[in-house]
Amino acid sequence: MTMFEAILLTIITASTPLLIAAVGQLVVERSGVLNLGMEGMMIMGAACGFAVAILTGNSAIGIVAAIIAGMAMSLIFAALTLGLAANQVASGLALSIFGLGLSGVIGAPFVGAKRDAMPRLDLPVLSDLPIIGKALFGQDPYVYASFALTFGVWWFLFRTRPGLVLRACGESHASAHALGYPVLKIRLLAILFGGGCAGLAGSYLSLVYTPFWSPGMTAGRGWIALAIVVFASWLPWRAMAGAYLFGGITILQLHAQGAGVRIPSQLMAALPYLVTIIALVIIMSRRTGQQTAPASLGTPFVPDR
Amino acid sequence: MQINRRQVLQGATALGAAAGLGQPAFAQANPLQVGFIYVGPVGDFGWSTMHDVGRKRLEEVMGPAVKTTAVEAVAANDMERVATQLARQGHRLIFTTSFSFFQPTMRVAPTLPNVFFESATGTRTADNVSLYNARFYEGRYVQGVIAARKSKTKTIGYIAAFPVPEVIHAINTVMRGAWSVDPSMKIRVIWANAWFNPGREADAARALIDQGCDVICQHTDSPAPLQLANERGVFGFGQASDMTRFAPKAHLTSSVNNWGDYYVERAKAVIAGTWKPGDVWGGLNSGMFKLAAFTNMTPEEASEAQKVAEALSSGRLHPFDGPIVRADGTEAVAAGGRLTDDQIRAMNYFYRGVEVSLPA
Repeated sequence: MTMFEAILLTIITASTPLLIAAVGQLVVERSGVLNLGMEGMMIMGAACGFAVAILTGNSAIGIVAAIIAGMAMSLIFAALTLGLAANQVASGLALSIFGLGLSGVIGAPFVGAKRDAMPRLDLPVLSDLPIIGKALFGQDPYVYASFALTFGVWWFLFRTRPGLVLRACGESHASAHALGYPVLKIRLLAILFGGGCAGLAGSYLSLVYTPFWSPGMTAGRGWIALAIVVFASWLPWRAMAGAYLFGGITILQLHAQGAGVRIPSQLMAALPYLVTIIALVIIMSRRTGQQTAPASLGTPFVPDR
Repeated sequence: MQINRRQVLQGATALGAAAGLGQPAFAQANPLQVGFIYVGPVGDFGWSTMHDVGRKRLEEVMGPAVKTTAVEAVAANDMERVATQLARQGHRLIFTTSFSFFQPTMRVAPTLPNVFFESATGTRTADNVSLYNARFYEGRYVQGVIAARKSKTKTIGYIAAFPVPEVIHAINTVMRGAWSVDPSMKIRVIWANAWFNPGREADAARALIDQGCDVICQHTDSPAPLQLANERGVFGFGQASDMTRFAPKAHLTSSVNNWGDYYVERAKAVIAGTWKPGDVWGGLNSGMFKLAAFTNMTPEEASEAQKVAEALSSGRLHPFDGPIVRADGTEAVAAGGRLTDDQIRAMNYFYRGVEVSLPA
């Protein structure tokens, strides 16, 4: 494996959890809900996924548990923001803090337990392609899932009628309601989908990326995923570009440090953020007049009867 | 006369004790409350875990004479608040267990003159602030020796947390140990800018291994780099606790911290009224840390490492003996001299031959 392939492989692994979480969150925000509880849902996925994988000895069951844990967390958020029309920002922040704490309690008996990372799944023929073969098709199942997820979400949002309805809820919940669409139900499903994706992304960290459990191990990745959704101006393919750009710069700056490039490491560590922000500004300035955030994002909806 | 909530609670405790709740009254009436502030989560399986092991040891030895409280994952800028809170709750001895806490400890200590502070690493003491640390660099020297024997590419990969003296002199000492075996040894360093961020630590390990490093040293707290070394088929060392089980094929040795005995000693001093600000820096011979069993090494390699460890422990070998030349070519200490403890603790330069840029 050449150096280039090795770097590409590492970049893809580093970006995958961000991509999965961001794509899930993108659907939530497209429906008009801002769930800042990403970090909390993600770490619950990491804790529950690892715990269940240890208890059952089966990674697949662990992944399912992680998705359920993420959905359960998002259900709390949904109860607060949809059921009680609570402030979404405050509820989301509370969910993040709650998740960090609860995951510590759930994970406590599993501190120090170890598992082998999930095996890679080489796709025959494709993984023998030169240069990109190993990086794209010699990966763990999560990577393929993240590709499929991005495509699926794009297709759903922009090529299907339910996707159009979901976007309508995000742009103007009052109009969607007036047309007879069940806004709250649609938002609930979107929130659950986002929670499931967050849980899945979390389990990637504790089952594949660094296969052990440790409190706080998501280390802010949930917040990055939230930021990527904004950077991507709520478009799935741009979210993919954003996740890979962010992951790529993160890995490249580590390589630059290892190679002894004489740039202060603090500046290097800030590079992923800087580059992503600059990329966003450039995209925005070139596409003026285009829609950006869903118009009803973050506004509670109370149907009048 | 003012009565605050604490006095009421104390009164209630005393009443309970006097009523004879099945425990000796003297023990319940006035246990010494000891606070611990950790920089990472208790479950980091490294630095903070081992401080918590020390805390449990303190409880085990002292029994009802002490009552301990631990606050985990405290940010440096939040430490003063946590310390003040602990003091208000009646804690009279507080261990602030990180170099990142040293400055906050020095700021908060004068405002709480009745509380004794113990800062794990630091640069000076105060009326109510003691320093304690272990000479982990002795373990780093042994790591360097082992790494030089194990490495085929002659390149060590080092994942460092922050450019503080403790980390800088550790990097220098690893290389000193490595050069004692093979002067052609090289090192690559990546700053993680975190003590604990498993994902980033693993990324750093991936990058170092991709760049040809085949022995990984880590100065961060999670087992992620070692585990990755195992996955990639290179070698690594555990940090702070025995991490053998995370990397059965890669683990060479770990520095295993042991703070419990020191905690017992200091708590006893407070109870006896003999606590004085001290500055303890214990080496391999003090028991403050030891090396985990050598694994994945030939008997010859293990016995060499053992001999080096014994020489360091007995003082026959000292990693900071002159001559030491800085990377910029100036001399830090001449042949025949030795760096003082204060000089070691303030080290802000790399040795000549350590080609690593210091973050500004």
